[in-house]
Amino acid sequence: MSAELVVRGLVRRFGGTPVLDGVDLAVPAGECVALLGPSGSGKSTVLRLVAGLDTPDAGRVHAGGRDLTGLPPERRGTAMVGQRPRLFPHLSVLDNVAFPLAVAGRRRREARAQAAGHLALVGLADLAARRPATLSGGQEQRVALARALAASPAVLLLDEPFSALDPGVREEMHRLLADLRAAVAPTVLLVTHDRQEATVVADTVAVLLDGRIAQAGPAEELHTRPATLAVSRFLGGANEVPGRVEGGAHVSALGRLALPVPVAAGPGVLVVRQEAVAVTGPGDDADATGTVTRVTPRGARRRVEVATPAGPLSAEVGPGLAPAPGSAVGLVLPVAQRWVVPCPDAQRAEG
Amino acid sequence: MPARSPSRRALLLLLPAAVPTVAVLGAALTVAVLQSTGLMPVVGEPDPTTAGYRALAGDRALLDGLRVSLGIAAASTLLALAVGLGTALLARTTRLGGRLLRAAAAATVPVPHLVGAAAIGLLLADSGLAARALAVEPGDFPPLVGGPWWVAVVAEYAWKESAFVALVVLAALAAGERELDEAAATLGAGPWQRLRRVALPLAAPSAVAAGGVTFAYVLGSYDVAWLLGRSYPEPLPVLAFRLWTDVDLARREQALAVAVVTTALALASLLATAALLARTARATGRTAT
Repeated sequence: MSAELVVRGLVRRFGGTPVLDGVDLAVPAGECVALLGPSGSGKSTVLRLVAGLDTPDAGRVHAGGRDLTGLPPERRGTAMVGQRPRLFPHLSVLDNVAFPLAVAGRRRREARAQAAGHLALVGLADLAARRPATLSGGQEQRVALARALAASPAVLLLDEPFSALDPGVREEMHRLLADLRAAVAPTVLLVTHDRQEATVVADTVAVLLDGRIAQAGPAEELHTRPATLAVSRFLGGANEVPGRVEGGAHVSALGRLALPVPVAAGPGVLVVRQEAVAVTGPGDDADATGTVTRVTPRGARRRVEVATPAGPLSAEVGPGLAPAPGSAVGLVLPVAQRWVVPCPDAQRAEG
Repeated sequence: MPARSPSRRALLLLLPAAVPTVAVLGAALTVAVLQSTGLMPVVGEPDPTTAGYRALAGDRALLDGLRVSLGIAAASTLLALAVGLGTALLARTTRLGGRLLRAAAAATVPVPHLVGAAAIGLLLADSGLAARALAVEPGDFPPLVGGPWWVAVVAEYAWKESAFVALVVLAALAAGERELDEAAATLGAGPWQRLRRVALPLAAPSAVAAGGVTFAYVLGSYDVAWLLGRSYPEPLPVLAFRLWTDVDLARREQALAVAVVTTALALASLLATAALLARTARATGRTAT
């Protein structure tokens, strides 16, 4: 049932302005790729183009080796679940799930029997006779998922399907999606603006910035080894130290900091995730020293902002470990977590 | 599930509309019933009688009127539903079509029926525009106006009421139907499947409601049938008005009896519509309130 999805050179303009400017993306069969991007970056447009609900100005969409470009949505085998469940109000929960089977020509009894199986898969077998209007938001999305799976799609498209749900319900849905993936292994392309959701749910995260895929890879790689400063910033990276690379080390206002991997010499910005930075006393082995300017709570953790010779740097520390504002501290940037991205100016010059 | 208090508030909010309607209709109906049963005679003492109704029951005019009124109402309603529903469903497929249709329908609804009737008469009479455009001799042109099949009358009602049906259905479909249509498409439903399994079921309640209103309206409407119909048999409202204006004052009882019968029929058709709607609502799982 699952097939590899390949998107090549997808371009979509709205009123002359390209929203998508050559999107290349591949989702291996049975895997889940999260398409992550800020609001208005065109993530949902990618899904609509894959589903055939919109027409690209250029580019092609393939699934399982089949060229889908130009096919109407009903012949693509790309079921979609959106932010709103879009259940049919005039059908019972069971008949909603049986809908794709009925339109495929199954007999009613057979369609309902299969639909019951899909409902059981999402844990809602008891609600088969109910009307969509009587369900909670989480239940509605479960039914929408069951209905999409009942269509045996080559590719399952999820367009921020959990963003309207309460955090608790959302986590439940993440677990459900993991269970469904284990059970039926659909190929999933998930669109989200929630960085955490992308990392929890997907094997691979693709970051869509300025109409292109800026970087695609495992979530951890994107966080610790961003391709560009833009990716680093979008993923919440707070620490940027401008400087240049010389002989395997980054040289900046912080001095000479050794790098874990060889990097070509030239200007570069050192980035280190604030979660990896440790706060110590000033002096002892610190890579940078400075004064704490602000401490902000981040759930159970706290973010400590420190003014250093190289500008502000941040570290996230556990409960009870935050120094008081105004105190002098040292920051340790672990060697393995150091990463250099090109200067934005240099990038622009390259083109 | 709506709580009890919002529905009570809805009832209260309905009062400004309901009170005048009930007052006017109630007064008129009371007077009609009283006068048709001799309890409120034009001259003389009240004398309860069913003479008016008995005279009518023995008269062919009422039965023929009944037949022709129901026939015209049924034909007009079916045509208006087919055309209105069809255009609404077609128009929703394109944005421009929807806008054009909405404009056309909105322009048609406020045209008075009498003006519409005159226009249809000028178009369809044997010496009318259609006959001239087709270069048919008046003698060879089918008797659409004043003919045995009431074609011009039905055409006028169907034309006006199809605009009403289209507006009602479009308004009902506007809320989310496009999203459901897309959902159905991504689930493998082709255009016809989407029409049959999604659009039509969603449009059905509003179409039933609009059809019921159209039927009751046409049943009680006077002017179009009077202008474009034939002199016999007379539809019930035309019959009632002729009896009312008769020189014989005793015929007023009969006139009001016809009016009461017509009203009862219209109410019955609205009740049937409500019952049908309740059934559709149950079938579609939407609550009636």
